Amino acid sequence: MTAIAPEAVNLRTTPASAQRIWRVVRLNLVNKGTTIWVPAMIMGFIWLVNYLIWWIIWAATPVAERPHAMDGTQWSGGGSYIFVYMLVVGIQVISMTFPFALGYSVTRRDFWLGSALTFVMLSAGYSIGFTVLSFIEQWTNGWGLGGHLFTSVYFGDGGFWERLFIVFVAMTFFFFIGATSGTLFMRWRVNGLLIAGALLALVIVGAVALITFTQSWPAIGDWFTRMGPTGVVAWLLLPTAIAALAGYFVLRRSTPKS
Amino acid sequence: MSTTLTPTSIAPTVQVEGLTKRFGSFTAIDDVTFSVKPNKIYGLLGRNGAGKTTIMQLLTGQDFATDGDIRVFGEGPVENARVLQNICFIKESQRYPDDFQAKHVFRSAPWFFENWDAEFAERLIRDFRLPLNRRIKKLSRGQLSAVGVIVGLASRAPLTFFDEPYLGLDAVARQIFYDRLLEDYAEHPRTVILSTHLIDEVSNLLEHVIVIDQGRILMDEDAEAMRGAATTVVGQRRAVDAFVDGHEVLHREGIGGLASVTVAALSPSQRAEAAAAGLELSPVSLQQLIVRKTNVAATEFEQSA
Amino acid sequence: MIEEGKPIFVQIAEQIENDIIDGVYPTETQVPSTNEFAAFYRINPATAGKGVNLLVDDGILYKKRGIGMFVADGARERLITKRRDAFRDEYLRPLLAEAAKLGIDPQQLTEMISTEGVSA
Repeated sequence: MTAIAPEAVNLRTTPASAQRIWRVVRLNLVNKGTTIWVPAMIMGFIWLVNYLIWWIIWAATPVAERPHAMDGTQWSGGGSYIFVYMLVVGIQVISMTFPFALGYSVTRRDFWLGSALTFVMLSAGYSIGFTVLSFIEQWTNGWGLGGHLFTSVYFGDGGFWERLFIVFVAMTFFFFIGATSGTLFMRWRVNGLLIAGALLALVIVGAVALITFTQSWPAIGDWFTRMGPTGVVAWLLLPTAIAALAGYFVLRRSTPKS
Repeated sequence: MSTTLTPTSIAPTVQVEGLTKRFGSFTAIDDVTFSVKPNKIYGLLGRNGAGKTTIMQLLTGQDFATDGDIRVFGEGPVENARVLQNICFIKESQRYPDDFQAKHVFRSAPWFFENWDAEFAERLIRDFRLPLNRRIKKLSRGQLSAVGVIVGLASRAPLTFFDEPYLGLDAVARQIFYDRLLEDYAEHPRTVILSTHLIDEVSNLLEHVIVIDQGRILMDEDAEAMRGAATTVVGQRRAVDAFVDGHEVLHREGIGGLASVTVAALSPSQRAEAAAAGLELSPVSLQQLIVRKTNVAATEFEQSA
Repeated sequence: MIEEGKPIFVQIAEQIENDIIDGVYPTETQVPSTNEFAAFYRINPATAGKGVNLLVDDGILYKKRGIGMFVADGARERLITKRRDAFRDEYLRPLLAEAAKLGIDPQQLTEMISTEGVSA
């Protein structure tokens, strides 16, 4: 039996950057339950509840008024669940998957890039599903009852790609807001969030003040109508990119507290 | 830029110089210098709160040094994939994603540890009786520790850290861990750094010992050298005192006319001298030695403060 | 098995020596590997290796490349000689010191030894 050779150290070749990033994507998706089945089930449940409510309203409305009974539902916020879920997933990736990934000797850079890629992939998947459902909703005239869940005014009534774009950008936006908030909390705890929130509030109040003093509200209104939902949502890409960048820099010097 | 680290043959795996870590006004690690040679089992010993976990966090790039220099495989470990690729850090407080089951851990670990041995992992899962389909949240303390231990062993990473991950394991499971570790280390040599305050249990496994106390290195020695490093002299008080005069005294206790004094190692002639004087010599275990030296350091610290 | 106080590698070496003297490992037979000793005594393989190397240095064992450690020619005889030399210091001198303490003179001591030797 050979004695242990003290000098022989078998060091491994480092996989390429792309490979390392892809490992993080796989890690984020390894538990399909939380990333796919649970949101799908909950969305299905929300749809069911909405459907029952519509049916009750429809049944209780006199036949003559039925065509307009569901008009109010176009303001339905039921579809917003999926966006809130994106926010939560973003936060959890930092609070739970990040400490775990550190245990797997993943660098923060690889983790952030891998998770960002995961977000984009999940957004793409969910938004395709969402858009398809919105078309089904349209073709069945609101599931036969005139209800709106996936076709609320917020999503516009454009073609396939427009709707897809709106939902995709919105989802990605919430993912990154969630993840970046998670990094702020991890590094600077509650104070971090409070200060970030306060700064954000200042910026918004400052903007509102500026608009009011220059009496630009009508101009703002015009701009909204001209841009349409698609245009407005496209602007979300800017804060998304800022959040993505900021999150990385906050994460770079963070350590999960034990 | 090469993607493989190529160490020179006797270069240390870890080289730390003047390492300091402060948390606000609290200095957790104070000007620490040591090195770790490849393919040995090191013990990082010390009391709770001495700084063992902090040092490991710094060596693995999970936390950031306030001052000093760290080289692992010749490079700084922070955000360095080339270095981190070869490290596996198993800690007691490892957090797992919500809703993760044990099987998700063992499914994903191989992606990150190239040397992963699935058969070995399966054997360990059986040895520790780990239920794979149960959620991590629902595992008992011992089973949770077992998950970490299995990952640490099956990863076969060239540099593996175990930060008291076996605290949740019962005595039987701990023995399984020590046995599997020794077995696998003999077949697949790698550098292992074990931190614990259960010194007696692991003392025979260790080749080299580093003792930390209050953020400073107290001892950094070969384990075998430490085993012969002290002796306890027992006998009539006057005879004992006469004998130990001039020796470094580590500990003194007694009752009635009987005294028991621990001193640094005695040469064979000194041992014969003690026997001739009717004194009894008894051995000092690694744990006893470390406890004595830690207390001595504490007393000196108090006196100088 | 492993006792405190004496370096472990010394204890390993002594255990192998005892087995050689007892005839467990005749000349030219193989002794267990370092890893087997390490696993049995639950000690670090490097420590076990140190003990084995002690015996290699003393010419008691020799290494066959790729196979393992074997008992050298004349090892048993050499060990017995060594132990005999140590016998005086380790056993005889303390015996005489204790006997003197208890007032047993050499004559009485010899008688005791003869009696003991017969019944042993």
